[in-house]
Amino acid sequence: MSEPAISATALTRRFGQIRALRGVDLRLENGERLALFGLNGAGKTTLLRVLGLGLTPDSGSLAIDGYDSRREARRARARIGWLGHASLLYGDLSAHQNLAFWGRLHGADDVEKRADALLEELGLATYSDEPARILSRGLAQRLSLARALIHNPALLLLDEPFTGLDPLAADSLRKRLVERRPDAPSMIIATHRIDDGLALSDRWVLLSRGKISASGTSEGTDPASVADAYRAPRKAS
Amino acid sequence: MRRSGTRFLDATLLAATIAAIPAAIWAAMLYAPTEQTMGAVQRIFYFHVPSAMVAYLSVAVLLTSSIVYLAKRDLKWDDLSLAATEVALVFCTLVLITGPIWARPAWGTWWTWEARLISTLVLEILLLAALLVRRYASNRDLGARLAAILGITIAADVYVVHKAVEWWRGMHPQVFKEGGKGSIQTEMQTALLICTVSITLLCVLLIRLRYRTARIETRTQTMILERAEEGD
Amino acid sequence: MNPPGFLTSSWLVARKDMLLEWRTLDTWSSSAIFAVVVLLVFQFAVAGGAAQQLTGADLVPGVLWLAIAFSSVVGIARSMDSERQGDTLSALFRSPVDRGAIYAGKLVANCIKLAALELVLVPLAIVFFNASLAGFAWLKLILVLALCSFGLCALGTLFGAIVSRVGRGEALLATLLLPSATPLLLAGVTATAAVFHGDELTTVTRWLGMALGFDLLYFFLALATFEFVLEE
Repeated sequence: MSEPAISATALTRRFGQIRALRGVDLRLENGERLALFGLNGAGKTTLLRVLGLGLTPDSGSLAIDGYDSRREARRARARIGWLGHASLLYGDLSAHQNLAFWGRLHGADDVEKRADALLEELGLATYSDEPARILSRGLAQRLSLARALIHNPALLLLDEPFTGLDPLAADSLRKRLVERRPDAPSMIIATHRIDDGLALSDRWVLLSRGKISASGTSEGTDPASVADAYRAPRKAS
Repeated sequence: MRRSGTRFLDATLLAATIAAIPAAIWAAMLYAPTEQTMGAVQRIFYFHVPSAMVAYLSVAVLLTSSIVYLAKRDLKWDDLSLAATEVALVFCTLVLITGPIWARPAWGTWWTWEARLISTLVLEILLLAALLVRRYASNRDLGARLAAILGITIAADVYVVHKAVEWWRGMHPQVFKEGGKGSIQTEMQTALLICTVSITLLCVLLIRLRYRTARIETRTQTMILERAEEGD
Repeated sequence: MNPPGFLTSSWLVARKDMLLEWRTLDTWSSSAIFAVVVLLVFQFAVAGGAAQQLTGADLVPGVLWLAIAFSSVVGIARSMDSERQGDTLSALFRSPVDRGAIYAGKLVANCIKLAALELVLVPLAIVFFNASLAGFAWLKLILVLALCSFGLCALGTLFGAIVSRVGRGEALLATLLLPSATPLLLAGVTATAAVFHGDELTTVTRWLGMALGFDLLYFFLALATFEFVLEE
C-alpha cells in the first residue's frame, strides 16, 4: 500500500491580512490525476505553490508521498516535479547540461542516462548539446517538462502549462501528458482550459475564495457545468 | 483601537517631549558656557552628538523589529522597522548637516573624515537603499522580508564601520580635537545630558507617531485589497 | 535516491555557475573591461599637481581596491542576471537542498570569478602606476587580496540576491555593498599599502583580523538569512 501523493488537511495561508487559503483539504492517491480550476485570485496559484512546497502554509498539515512537509521538508521537495510558465532553464547551458544539473540537484540516480532517455522520448535529442535559449517556446516547454521529470518525482505539478503555446505545441504537450504509464507520477494540473483539464485528469476541484467549492469526476463531466461552477454566486465564508 | 493604557503612555511621552525641548534649547543656548576657542557655534555640538546617538538608537530598534518580523511575520513589526528606518534617516541627516555647520567656522573645513561623520554617512546611504528596496519590491511581504534582512546587516555594519574608521583615522591624526569627555566642563556635561535626554524623547515620540501612521496605512491597504477581492 | 547534502549541493551550484561563466565569459569580460576603465580614469585623476610626488607604492593600493570594489559589483550583478531569465532562482528554492548551500555555491563561484579578475588587474595596476613587488611580497599581497575579496563576495552575494529579487541592478547593488564594505576596503587599502611599502604584515594584523572577523560575520549571517531572500 503506497503512500498518497498528497495528504493535506486544513491548509491556510494569508498574505498580510488577505486570506488566500481558508482551509483546504486535499488527498491525492498514488497515480491519481487532479485538475484544479478557479478564478484568478481564488487561491489556485497559492494552493499549487503550497503543495509544491514553494510556500509554507500558515497552518494545516501537508505530506508529499508520505514525507511531512515540515519535518522532512527536503525529502518531500525531492518528490515533486514542477512545470510552470517560466522555463526554469539556464539559457546558456545545453539541454543536456540543464537536465544533468537539475537532476543531480534533486538527487536523481543515473542522471546522464535518464537525461538522454528523456531527451529522446520528448523529441529533443537533436538539441541535446545546443544552448537552451535557441529553443522555441514549445520545445522549451518540453525541456521544462523533462526537467520536472528527471528525478522521477512522485508528484508532478503543472501551473498553466499551456500558456503561450501555439496550437501545435499545445497539442504536442497534451499528448505527452495524456500518456498513462506505470511509472507516471501523480499529477495536478491548474488550468483555465476546462477541456484540457478534464481530458488530463481523473477528477477535478474548483477553488473559490480560498476554499474548494465544487468537485467531480472528470470522466462524464460536462465542461459547461464546470464553467457554471465558476460563475456560481460567491458564498460568504 | 488603542487601549487606555497605551493612550496614557502616549500622552505622557508627548507631554514629556514638549517639556524637554525648551529645556534642551535653554541648556544648549543659555546655560552652557561659551567655548573658548570655537565660540558660539560650538553650541551645535549639543544637538550634533545626541542626534548621532539617537540615530544609532533607532538602528537598534530597527535591528530588533527586523529579527522579530522574520520570526513572527506579523506586519506590525515591519511597520515598526519602517518607522525606525525613517526616524534614523532624519537624525542621520541632522548629524550630516550640523557637522559641517560646526566644522567650518570652528576648524575652517566643511568636512572632516572622522569616525562619526563617515559612519553616519554610510548609515544614511544604507538606510536610503533599504527604503528603495521596500519600494521596488513587487509585494508587501517580499519588501518586508528583504528590508528585515537589510535591517540586520545594516545594524551589524554600523558598529564595524565606526570601529574601522576610528582605527583608520587614528593613523591620520587631524589638527582639531572634538569635545572629548576629558576636556569638558561640568556645565557642558550637564547641558549635553539635558539635550541627550530631550532628543532621545523626541526620537521615541517620532518613532511612535510614525509607527501609528504606518499601522493605519497597512490596515487600510489590506482593507482595500480585501474589498477588491470581494467585489466584482 | 537521496537529496544531496550541503557540500554536494553547494558544489553543484558553484559548478553550474562556473560552467555558465565558461560558456559565456559574461561576468569576466564585463567586469575586467570595467576595471581597466577605472584604472584609466584614475590615471587622469592623479595626472597633475601634487600627485606627481606620489610613488607607485602610494597610488596602487587605493586604485587597486577602487577597481576591485566597482568591478565586483558589476561581476556579481551579472552573475545574478543568469538566474533572472528562466526564474531559476525560484526553482533553486524549491529544490531539496539547504538554501544556505545555494548561497555557498554562488559565493564560491563569485570568489573564483573575482580572483580571475584580480589575476589580471593586479599586474595591470602595477604596470600602469610603476610600482614593484619583491619576491615574498607577492605572497603577502595574495593573502590580503584573498582575505578582503572574500568578504566583498560574501556580502555581495547576499545583497546581489536581494537586489535581484526586486528587479534592480548594479546601481542599487553598489549603493548597498560599497558603503557596507567600508571596513573591508579600509583594511584592504591599508594592508596593501603596507605590502607595497615593504612593511611586515605584522604591522597591520589588527586590520587583517578585522577583515577576517567581517568575513566570518557576514558569511554566517548570509548563510542564515539566505532562505528568506529566496522565499516565495
